[in-house]
Amino acid sequence: MSEIILRSEKVNKHFGITHAVKDVSLEFESGEIHGLIGENGSGKSTFCSMLCGIYPVSSGKFFLEGKELKVRTQVDANHQGVSIVVQEMGTLPGLSVAENIFLGEEERFMHGPVKDSAAMNREAQALLDKYGFKFIRAESMIENYSFEVRKLVEIVKATYFGPKVVVIDETTTALSQAGREALFRVMDAIKKQGNLVIFISHDLDEVLEHTDRISVLRDGELMGTVKSGSVSVDELKLMMVGRELDKHYYRTDYGEPISDEVVLEVKNLSVPGEIDNISFSLHKGEILGFGGLSECGMHEVGKAIFGGSFDRKGTVTLRDGLDGSSEGIAINSIPKAIKHGVAYASKDRDNESVVLADSILDNICLPSLDDLANHGLLNNGTLRRFAQKYAELMSVKMRDIDQYVSDLSGGNKQKVVLARWLGKDSDILVLDSPTRGIDVKVKADIYNLMSELKKKGKSIIMISEELLELLGMSDRILIMKDGKINGEFLRSPELDEKDLIAKMI
Amino acid sequence: MSKKQADITDEALLGQKQKHHAIIRNLMPLFGLIGIVVIFSILTGGKIIDPNNISLMLSQVYVLMISSMGVFMIMTVGGLDFSQGSILGLTSIVFCWVSQSNIVLGVLAAVAAGAAMGAFNGFFHVKFKIASFIVTICTMYFFRGLCKYITTNGPVPASLNVIALNETWFKVLLTLVVLAIGFFFIHFTRLGYDLRAIGAGETAARFSGSRPDLVKFSVYMAAGAITGFASFINVIKVGSITGTAGTQLETQILISLVLGGMPISGGAKARFSNIIIGTLTYCVLEKSLPMVFPISATQQLVKGIIFLAVVALTIDRESLRVIK
Repeated sequence: MSEIILRSEKVNKHFGITHAVKDVSLEFESGEIHGLIGENGSGKSTFCSMLCGIYPVSSGKFFLEGKELKVRTQVDANHQGVSIVVQEMGTLPGLSVAENIFLGEEERFMHGPVKDSAAMNREAQALLDKYGFKFIRAESMIENYSFEVRKLVEIVKATYFGPKVVVIDETTTALSQAGREALFRVMDAIKKQGNLVIFISHDLDEVLEHTDRISVLRDGELMGTVKSGSVSVDELKLMMVGRELDKHYYRTDYGEPISDEVVLEVKNLSVPGEIDNISFSLHKGEILGFGGLSECGMHEVGKAIFGGSFDRKGTVTLRDGLDGSSEGIAINSIPKAIKHGVAYASKDRDNESVVLADSILDNICLPSLDDLANHGLLNNGTLRRFAQKYAELMSVKMRDIDQYVSDLSGGNKQKVVLARWLGKDSDILVLDSPTRGIDVKVKADIYNLMSELKKKGKSIIMISEELLELLGMSDRILIMKDGKINGEFLRSPELDEKDLIAKMI
Repeated sequence: MSKKQADITDEALLGQKQKHHAIIRNLMPLFGLIGIVVIFSILTGGKIIDPNNISLMLSQVYVLMISSMGVFMIMTVGGLDFSQGSILGLTSIVFCWVSQSNIVLGVLAAVAAGAAMGAFNGFFHVKFKIASFIVTICTMYFFRGLCKYITTNGPVPASLNVIALNETWFKVLLTLVVLAIGFFFIHFTRLGYDLRAIGAGETAARFSGSRPDLVKFSVYMAAGAITGFASFINVIKVGSITGTAGTQLETQILISLVLGGMPISGGAKARFSNIIIGTLTYCVLEKSLPMVFPISATQQLVKGIIFLAVVALTIDRESLRVIK
């Protein structure tokens, strides 16, 4: 048996009266990749945040190589050999890539009061090159790069100094295939050096594939630790939620014909730098999947259909029935899209889907205000009943509808988004990454809802980076590459990820 | 099983607690107003609640309250307006001119002129994407410059018929009518919901069907028009307009709204009551301080300290923490 590198002993965390982590005692071996899984709010991130000095522990202890680990800050943790790639944005804007990598280590480049930027940039560039990220320039400002590239910088920052323990918290969702592979290479290297990687992810297949052992948390409690080779995804899910999951996680029907009735026609749609001359049509009751690499332009397609893109060219037309010759309604602005029953849930949930600093009530009612008005007049009681009804329909976990959306978890925010569009009774739903960062229970709810909407004759465009989700839910899948449609697949049990990937790259 | 129950009660408790905190936070400005009235009643031996003094105090509040309503809307969408004082000065002049022939026409002209000035602000803010406080500081100078230029040869007098309207009931009535109209639009049309959503998160509001640019432009125009109307009451009170008419109104409005509990960054926590409580608190302080501190040299100093103290005691820090 290999030796224990890190151990936690009855670690607890209280936030006010919320008991986020309960008596977690865990042992981690050196030279292992240890998966940590659980639903949203199960305490995995909180546990690791205490390990890395982001939150103080309420009670309990960590031991690193037998010695008690006491960290007050993240920099302190780094010095003791513990680092983390956080789930959210972990880089600081206004600083260069090199300055971000060496944050807290500036001393090394100081000559008296003067910082030797050239030396810092040189060293940072050498590191970036070593990791295979040659395209990232050390001297560039961090905000010149996309979210994904910043994540890569964070990975370098968290691992370059050879820490004994590295926590990777839900990082892969932000990365493309190439980024993920680079991350897994880094993780393997850490493992080979006899150190420890704690890997947090919602993607259970990924966890099974890349870890040696997996620990499962539920409601802040440790449910158990298992060897990755000895369990299946379903067994892990069972441990996470504590009950048998609905077998119908995805749709199970195949071979049902798609209606001939076209409800939405997109012609020669272009957005400079994002999408290039795209045409397709959406049928009644169809779930149309859009897949591709994260930068392929598919996310912009959703925005453009909804009238939310700047500088859009081409047409988006609502068709009413079979007659293709009818004029149809041109969708060219968001208010017009909403008015005519087009709904949109953005990938950027916090900025584009919900008004964070506003109540659930306002968020659910906003798109429907014109419908709820009686001769232009709004009645507060009507609005409250409306919001209450749809929040309950989506079983949003909340105190009441006056609670701010910023208080809710990711899954519940998404439920508020869906509640507002159900309330609006939209006929066409454009859902961009509808289950991103959402736990299995809510995921299953969302898939069920999509199937139900389909049965009612609503049409859905689902844009997703999750290939299994596309395969499992779509009637038809369009794969995009470099802003263009590069492949089309019809629903079939034989279709698998490799077919899609071949068209993506 | 018992654990699950405990969790539910915990959550419910936390929810109740948050709710109570929110209610107390909303009431803080009202407590502030009551507290100030009580304290100064004691300090002045009851002089400030003397009916004569109350009517004097009220004579200050009309213009401030009306103009604050426009700025309230601007602040709710997350903007600021420093040009209100200059707009009041200029629209007062317009009213004086036109009132020579017809008072009703004069009011309409002042409202139109105010709307035009507000539209000017809104245009530069929305179209050129210049921060609202920068635009309105510039127009504050610009409109004030016009005011001074027009009054170079002396004050602009209003028609004598206007001064005959200087009756308390008339001014109270006008103020109430304007407030009622504002309240109606903010609470019973989609305007109020749009304002709050845009102030809380402009991009998300846009994706929810609001039209941020149009709403912002309209709100600046409306605020100008409202102050244009306020110039009517202003002229009733003072009779003729000098180049400095309305100076400091913008700062009075801003401090009033903050005293009333208005979140500086706008958004969903703005309440209509902020206008009324804030302007009343301001006027009580403004009128009471000279009675307690009769030396004019120290009044400004004391005023600054008291305002800061009241704001520090009553402000809702939570709303400042909201990241936008």
